[in-house]
Amino acid sequence: MSTSSFATVLASISRQRGVRASLIVSESDGLIVDAALRFGQDGDRVAALAASLYRKARLSAGAAWLGDVAFLQLDADRGRICVAGRGDLIIVVVAEPAANVGLIRVELLKAVESLE
Amino acid sequence: MIIASVEAWVEAPLARYVEEARARLALLLHPSGQVVAQAGFTRAVDVMTACALAAAVNATASELGRQVDGKAFHGLFHSGAEKQFHLGSVDLGAATYICLTVFDGESSLGLVRMYFGDLCRELKAAAPQPVTRGPALGLDFERDLNKNLAALFGRA
Repeated sequence: MSTSSFATVLASISRQRGVRASLIVSESDGLIVDAALRFGQDGDRVAALAASLYRKARLSAGAAWLGDVAFLQLDADRGRICVAGRGDLIIVVVAEPAANVGLIRVELLKAVESLE
Repeated sequence: MIIASVEAWVEAPLARYVEEARARLALLLHPSGQVVAQAGFTRAVDVMTACALAAAVNATASELGRQVDGKAFHGLFHSGAEKQFHLGSVDLGAATYICLTVFDGESSLGLVRMYFGDLCRELKAAAPQPVTRGPALGLDFERDLNKNLAALFGRA
């Protein structure tokens, strides 16, 4: 269980229905700063891959003159990954396929505002 | 990516690691500084220098670990302006190797650590089983010796 200053941020996201894990990750390193994970979940792997994905999306958006990335969503057969970031920190949410992405998105963007 | 090795079973896992982790260079070496495999180096002198330096850094970090934590550290990371390196030990049971990975902004420490864990598992699975040798001298060495000497000098 998280005890850092990010605990409130993670708790507000994890409270959403269908959220399996939420992590605050350093985008440049792909390392976990703080996380709310269930027992047995491999947070390191999710953090590294999500940070790499987000960094590439950010660079692609920049290269295409689209500006900053506000929100990244990956839908797969057995789950979803949502990412939003500010500065070097990103918030990664792993959710079930049936989860309400709209609510998660609102909560995630609100949480990102509190990062600094 | 140029990959060369002195142990053939190392090549496939190392090639996969370099590709997946988006590493620029990778070097697998014995803690004494002997190269086992390399990927991405273009000049032999670079490999030798890197091996010697990596072995020295590993020896220093291991000893520092023993001093402050009672046991050797098994991972080291340094960050430069553009390139970074990760030095980790690969425990294969019968032998321990060191893996030096150089990467840049195409990858990250998290990715390298993640795929390094996979590399360790793959190398452990691919490593040849240590050969169990019998005793250097036969159990009935003395009896055989006497028999052969007797045969040699016609006393058999």
